[in-house]
Parts: sequence; structure tokens; C-alpha cells
Amino acid sequence: MKILFAEDTADLNRAVTVVLTHEGYTVDAVLDGEAALEKLKNDSYDVIVLDIMMPKKDGMEVLFELRHRHILTPVLMLTAKVEVDDRVAGLDAGADDYLTKPFAMKELLARIRALIRRNEGYAQTEIRFADFVLNTEEFSLSSGNSVRLSIKEFELLQALVANADKSLSTEYLIEHVWKNERDAQEDTVWLYISYLNGKLMSIGSDAKIDGTRGGEFQIQG
Amino acid sequence: MDTNETKASIYGPHLPAMERTMEEILVRVEEIRERLTKKYGSDPIEHCLSRIKSEESMREKCRRNGLPETTESALSVCHDAIGVRIVCAFLDDVYIIRDYLKKIETLTVVEEKDYIRRAKENGYRSYHMIFKAEAGYYVEVQLRTISMDTWAALEHHMKYKKAELANEALIVSELKRCADELASTDISMQTIRQMIFSEDSK
Repeated sequence: MKILFAEDTADLNRAVTVVLTHEGYTVDAVLDGEAALEKLKNDSYDVIVLDIMMPKKDGMEVLFELRHRHILTPVLMLTAKVEVDDRVAGLDAGADDYLTKPFAMKELLARIRALIRRNEGYAQTEIRFADFVLNTEEFSLSSGNSVRLSIKEFELLQALVANADKSLSTEYLIEHVWKNERDAQEDTVWLYISYLNGKLMSIGSDAKIDGTRGGEFQIQG
Repeated sequence: MDTNETKASIYGPHLPAMERTMEEILVRVEEIRERLTKKYGSDPIEHCLSRIKSEESMREKCRRNGLPETTESALSVCHDAIGVRIVCAFLDDVYIIRDYLKKIETLTVVEEKDYIRRAKENGYRSYHMIFKAEAGYYVEVQLRTISMDTWAALEHHMKYKKAELANEALIVSELKRCADELASTDISMQTIRQMIFSEDSK
């Protein structure tokens, strides 16, 4: 695991680097924002930690620029300020978390671990429900037989399984699975529910999604 | 022993009668096709192939299964001397045609295997039926969709390629993936067709 750490206070920079290295991370430590962006040109990281107040380019500018370059690495902002507006601006600009100085080393480490975990999507490769298995790496659905699902079918089934204890409305599914895509409508949801029911049947599963066109849906094991 | 005997057909004198049985079945398939076309407004059968297993393949099959190369083995032990393959556009058509075939009074169903509901390990999908015709010959009928047929054609190439494939494991697993994707698409297309028809009936 590789971390880019940008912090202009030399003592703190050194101390954190020592701790992170001790924890087994590979650390590229820099003292200003320009150096951080320079590192990002040649290397990729698992987590980026940015101090907000830095010379040459501050943490916010670095954050804007790296997101503009489509770098999706999780970013943790360090801030001396306690103003809510700063934190809000940082999170809105694409930071994943922030930590207010002074901070306990233990907390910094825990937050870094959390960011890495989140990025790995909890690493769950198999979702089991009733008599079928949904493989999240291959997008395959299997019971007696197996089939491959499209991305939307997969996401829809995942949402239904995660909410198996309740009915989900068509509106909820359009909002959460289709993220309110312009073309998504009642019939889109209904068609995809029908696809999934056909596919569940084809793999020999007894699970079935109950519901009617435009209404609420719930998966039954 | 007569030296000509080794040259005699493994089917003995049965070939002409076998061909008649095959023709009769093709006529029945054609009738089903016409009836369904009238009923649904579109031809459910994409194409239909038939063959009598070649002398060479039948002998090879007997050898492979440790059977003596006799007419008895070819016609009574093996059930695929006469083969018919019906390829359909849509998944549901496979089952509709199966039901019609079962109603043919001159054919008795001996065995049915649904490799669509339960695909073979390598991803192979088809509906296999073995009938016994009135004349006493067995007939194997394979029903499948166009995409299953496409897949089987490619898999056949791989299986019968003489040279050892260096990346066989990769090819086998990728073929399986394709089979599962095609199966998925077959169901999606079927579902879309249902949606189109339900729009019609509104």
C-alpha cells in the first residue's frame, strides 16, 4: 500500500512518515502542494493525505487539480482550522475524509485503513441469497446453472438482495440503481425485473422477485 | 470370412428405411412449422438440419464406447444414427416445438434431457430428445436457439482441433463465459419479445 503524504511542517511530516512506514505503508512525503502534484504525475497511490495549509499550492488546489485529472484515489484532508465551511468545501471538492489538527496518530491510522477498505468495496466477492450466488467480480448469477448479468441487472439484483426484508418502490429503484438517468422510467425497471426473473428461473433458482409494473418489488427466497 | 463384409455398411440393409424415417420426421417438423407460423405470425424455426451418422463416425463411436462394430450397436445401442437439429429464434419456441413433437403419434419419447435448464459443465446448452419411430429406428432430436447453435459450432471447432492447444484452459473458461452470456441474452430477448407482444395486446 502506497501513500502520498503532503505536509509542510517538517517535524510533523517526519513523525507521520516514520509511523506510516512502521505500519508497513510505502510513503512518499512532500512539503508542498506543487511537489505533491509532481509526484502524482509519475506515480499512483492507494491513499493521499493532504494538509490544507501548504506553500506554493494549498491542499484544496491540489485536490481540485487531481480530481480534475480524474485521479480517483481516496483523499484525506488535514486541517488546522475548525471552521465547518472549510471541511464542507473540502468534502464537496472530492475529499473522502478530513482530520482536524492536532490529531492522535491512532486516529490518522484508523482513517487511512477505513479509506483503503472503502476503496476495496469491502472485498465481498460472493453474495449468497436463498439458493443462488451472485459473484461480484464476474457478474455471474448461479444456482444449478449459471448466467452472466449486465451491469444494471447486477446492480438491481444487489439492491433487491440488500433490501430483501422490505419492498422497494419503482421510484426508489430509478433513483438508486439508475441514478435518475434521464431515460430510466417505470417500464425500464419492469423490463429489468422481468429479465432477472427469467434469469433466476433459467439457473434453476426458486427465488423470485414479486411485484407488478410500476409498483413495489421484493425478492423472495 | 467374406472379404467384402468389412466393406458392408454398419447399418446393414437399413439405410433406405432409415432415410424414409428421417424424411417422415422432417415432414412432421414442416407441418409444425406451418401451423405455428399461422398461429404466431412468424416462423419459429430458423433452420432444421438432419443427417444419418456417417459410416465412419458411427464406427468411431462404437470403438470409443467399446462396442462391437455391428448393426445392432449402431441401431439399438446408439440412439443417434438418425439425427435432427431444430434451431429456433427464441428460447420459448424450443419448448413450444418440443411439446408439438411429443404429440406426434408415430413417435414415442424414449428420453429427454434438458441441457438448457441444466447446462453441461462446459456451458453447452440444448434440449435433447430421443424418439423411437414406428419403423423401429431411434431418432435423436436436438432443439436449441441460434445463439446456442453458434456457441456449439465454435466449441466443436475447438474440440476437434487436432493440435494440442497451449492455452486450452483459458479457451475453455472463456467459452463457458460466452455460453453464460449468450444464455443471458437469449432470456433478455425473450423478455423483450414478451413485452412487445403485451404492448400489442393492449
